[in-house]
Amino acid sequence: MKVLYIGQGPYRYLPDDFAERYDSVVSTPYFDLVEPAKMQESMQSYVEELLLAARSGFDGVTVTEHSQSSYDLSPNPNLTAAILAHTTRVEGLDTAINVLGRSLGKSREPLRIAEEYAVIDNLSGGKLIAGLPVGLSYDANQNGGIPPIETRARYREGRALLEKAWSAREPFAWNGKYSRYPVVNIWPRPVQQPRPPFWVPGSGSPSTLAEIHGHNEVFTYLSHFGPKLTGPTIFNRFWEMAEEHGRDRNPYRLAFMQVVCVADTDEEAERLYGQHLQTQFRSSFGSVPQAGFSQPGYTDIRGVEAILRGHSEHGIASRLREITFRELADTQAAIVGSPQTVRDMITEFVKEYRIGNLLVMLHGGGMPHELARRNIQQFASDVAPHLRGIWDDEGWEHQWWPTGIGSRAGAEALAPA
Amino acid sequence: MSTAVAPREEVVSVWNGQLDIHVKVGGSGPPLLFLHAAGGPRWLAFHDSLAADHTVYAPELPGTSPSDPYAIHKIDTFWELVLIYEELVRALGIEGAVVVGESFGGMLAADLSAHFPAIFSKLVLLAPAGLWLDDEPPGWFEMASGSVEAVPGFLFHDPQCEAAQQLFAMPDDPELVPTIIAALTWAQGCSGKFLWPIPDHGLARRLHRVTAPTLIIFGREDRVMQAVYGEEYSKRVAGSRLEIIEECGHIPHVEKAAETLSLIRDFLQS
Repeated sequence: MKVLYIGQGPYRYLPDDFAERYDSVVSTPYFDLVEPAKMQESMQSYVEELLLAARSGFDGVTVTEHSQSSYDLSPNPNLTAAILAHTTRVEGLDTAINVLGRSLGKSREPLRIAEEYAVIDNLSGGKLIAGLPVGLSYDANQNGGIPPIETRARYREGRALLEKAWSAREPFAWNGKYSRYPVVNIWPRPVQQPRPPFWVPGSGSPSTLAEIHGHNEVFTYLSHFGPKLTGPTIFNRFWEMAEEHGRDRNPYRLAFMQVVCVADTDEEAERLYGQHLQTQFRSSFGSVPQAGFSQPGYTDIRGVEAILRGHSEHGIASRLREITFRELADTQAAIVGSPQTVRDMITEFVKEYRIGNLLVMLHGGGMPHELARRNIQQFASDVAPHLRGIWDDEGWEHQWWPTGIGSRAGAEALAPA
Repeated sequence: MSTAVAPREEVVSVWNGQLDIHVKVGGSGPPLLFLHAAGGPRWLAFHDSLAADHTVYAPELPGTSPSDPYAIHKIDTFWELVLIYEELVRALGIEGAVVVGESFGGMLAADLSAHFPAIFSKLVLLAPAGLWLDDEPPGWFEMASGSVEAVPGFLFHDPQCEAAQQLFAMPDDPELVPTIIAALTWAQGCSGKFLWPIPDHGLARRLHRVTAPTLIIFGREDRVMQAVYGEEYSKRVAGSRLEIIEECGHIPHVEKAAETLSLIRDFLQS
């Protein structure tokens, strides 16, 4: 199995009663809540933790996109990805750069995304995983000003443009509904040919999964709810639909994000991380207002009706503002414990649901940098090595892993003559 | 008091056969076109009252008819929508009708009239959208991007009043509720295509082209399109008449039905 680190960059000094007083996106008052020095420190720590994960041997590092957000100071993840691409290359680290995605549903300049991804693929020596998210509703529609009902159509057109811009050998004109260019001929093109692997993040709606299987790509499931609450529905649907589309049961088709805190003993893990986890869930994802997940028109009319009829796949979303550490641990929204406990819990659900790529979130909320470092290092040394071999006996090939990994071309190419 | 008869439905093919627009038709007398708000089409007691002395044509914005929610995807821009409705008016054979438009429908009525000054004989604009003041942006976006629970407080001066309670009442059969809420949500998504993110398509620069007699009605306490927009409209439409109803929110024909009807009747008879 591939074990990737996933970082989000929250402002780390939000007040304790944040979740009671504020939303974490769109309307959060910056000047009331932020001290400039602490903002700089928050952002530096975020990047340092990503680099520490790469240096600690994670197979990949993952960055996400959220604008106008207090829980992820990452309006363009490619800014951070560029730092990671360059640094890992000069340090000779064989780390995938997983940009969970620049949102093609939000972007008014999809061609810019094609260019940025190509730059990162060159900087990293072919180690980019190109995430292709539609984008969250509040981000695409409120922050980005995209009419909700156009979000998915824009995503599809932007994706088609990106693929053509990467592959076309001759300059071409693009007369789209949302983008129009007289001549497209971007420089550079990706190192990976025909293109970097596409991983598509989402919440697992049937329409999203049908597209993923149709294109034979990776689904990155980002629930924030752990494997137990929504996992069975979504993962089982994923594999059933894989079969319907004639796809094999290669576990590398599936990526899953999981929050983890590890310490020497279960008790110590709870003591060190419990309060931080509770704050993390309450003040980040938990403080996104419900309306922010689906402005009218963002979700198809049939999807809205299905949700109203109780087929909710949103787990504990509506309760996150008041969630307790105990409930997070019991539901495994956060997996917390000794290396053995964490290994056992992860191994169980990874095997049950055939997950080939695990994205581990080891920092969140106000967790101090030193504690995050400790979590990252202990996971890398005491947990990850026990997970990597999980699928070895089945002998699957990872067809969606960056081709620049393992080539060693990167560091050598950059060495001064 | 009118005798309410359920409206019949006509389906009109427009846009070179690409779109079937569903139109509720009721009453008898000279034609009156009613253009609904962002919340979608609904035949109310107000329509019955208008139908007492008019043939009321109430088209459904493509996408808001239950038979084809995806018709909205066939329209790319607000400009196309204006052309499509102009075709509809001709297809119905009601050029020169009176138009009554509420909110989003008011914006559409005004822009139709600005594009085609002879299309309507008279305009009644109920809290129309379509203009933008930097110093007092419409509350619409705050409502549209906020929680569902807050919506009645935006739409009504008194969300507890009987008219409001009736408007938001759900059927007793819980099985029907999800379908209704999904349709309401989708209707906002459909109209949102032309309202989002800023419901201003440059109408302010065209409103001088409206030459038909125009009545503009706003609620004093409108939190969606504040009453100041009534003044903006009346300034820009020469000879228009502005009426502001006290203790009234964004839906004057529901919250203050009698007063609104009386203003409309006087205006149509004048």
